[in-house]
Amino acid sequence: MSNGVITESSVLDALRSVMDPDLGRDIVSLNFIRNMKIEGGVVSFDVNLTTPACPVKDRLREQSRQAVLSGVPGVIDVRVNMTAEVRRPPALGTNRIKGVKNIIAVGSGKGGVGKSTVAANIAVALAKSGARTGLLDADIYGPSIPIMMRSVGEPEMKDQLIQPVEAHGVKLMSMGYLSGEMPLIWRGPMAHKAVQQSLLGVNWGELDYLVVDLPPGTGDVHLTLVQSVPVTGAVIVSTPQDVGLQISMKTFRMFQQTKVPILGIVENMSSYVCPHCGKHDDIFGHGGAVRAAEALGVPFLGEIPLDAAIRKHSDGGVPVVLAEPDSPSGLAFAAITGKLAQQISIQAFRSIPLTILED
Amino acid sequence: MLTTPEQRTTPAEIRKKKGEGIVIRWQDGHTSTFGARFLRGRCPCAQCVSESTGQRLVSEEHINPDVAIEAARTVGNYALHFDFTDGHTTGIYSFEYLRRICPCEDCA
Repeated sequence: MSNGVITESSVLDALRSVMDPDLGRDIVSLNFIRNMKIEGGVVSFDVNLTTPACPVKDRLREQSRQAVLSGVPGVIDVRVNMTAEVRRPPALGTNRIKGVKNIIAVGSGKGGVGKSTVAANIAVALAKSGARTGLLDADIYGPSIPIMMRSVGEPEMKDQLIQPVEAHGVKLMSMGYLSGEMPLIWRGPMAHKAVQQSLLGVNWGELDYLVVDLPPGTGDVHLTLVQSVPVTGAVIVSTPQDVGLQISMKTFRMFQQTKVPILGIVENMSSYVCPHCGKHDDIFGHGGAVRAAEALGVPFLGEIPLDAAIRKHSDGGVPVVLAEPDSPSGLAFAAITGKLAQQISIQAFRSIPLTILED
Repeated sequence: MLTTPEQRTTPAEIRKKKGEGIVIRWQDGHTSTFGARFLRGRCPCAQCVSESTGQRLVSEEHINPDVAIEAARTVGNYALHFDFTDGHTTGIYSFEYLRRICPCEDCA
């Protein structure tokens, strides 16, 4: 065995064969390799990914290990430590929320497609993976996040900033807090003001992801969001039905017109599994969202079955991805969140800084 | 060079030049130079363009030749917003609109 000839550059050369499948580049040129130590024949290093919710984490770990074991003579063991640091897209404009790296809008064409359920489960799944996550319930017509997240208490004001409440590791702010039991009967300018305050007037602290649950359709709240802050991207939730999809397309086009990248489409209420006989029944049809995503050239993030567990846990205040992570719907939400996190990382690498240079 | 509509309407660089207005280099390589008065006279806001008929109510000849851009900001990812020295601040100029009104010889 040749000893003492293992160099950092020989290890890095071996690791250049490992590609990040989403970013399409090798993990060395992406600057993912950190804290390399070589002690005798044992090599250890960190692989610093772009999101803790990365679905190919284990594959990259094994590929890195194998690449060094087989590619560098003299290595007897490789210890790979997987870490993650969510990258901030290049600064877009000046009106960004301080400390918040990515803003993800969750929208739908019409109401009742499960948009808030999807938003809550994505936020909880991101937090569970170790990412610092916030959830803003911007649905002025029917704020439901406080119930789904069983958050207690109301946010307090401190130093003229709203202090978000915390539930299941997620920082929460809801339009529901602004009204209590009363309905919000607002004209456009009031909605505009309230949305701006709950985006910019909240002490979010340091966040990797801020998930914004939008009201259905396209309206004042959407415009305020896309005009006030640079939105990293949007997720569109739809049922498989054509009517649901057609209306979702309007939401899609609104995001397109305001240059908010579409991170993907989620098909909710995809099929019903009978708890008595186990048979599948496609109550609202099936696969409509996949076809729409293909036609539009945007990622399809996955489908969520129509499952009584989702409703039960939403009403109980613990999103299903946390309450029953191994149930079909829990697994579906986890997979969708992983794919979404990948898309966000891709977007962060792709976007170009948009600032006005003054001469 | 093949370019997509997306590249045609996405800026690679935005510059605010003293006395000259706004210069945008687009991702397809094209450069547009917009004078302050030109932009002010093409403001897309509801005070300058009738909401019901689409007819332009305020155009370049109504604007003081000395008008300048006091401040320029980006609006989300998709537009620019200007404070003009004549006090007008209500227009949101989407990048798509700005590319469409590019005053250069090739485009006009």
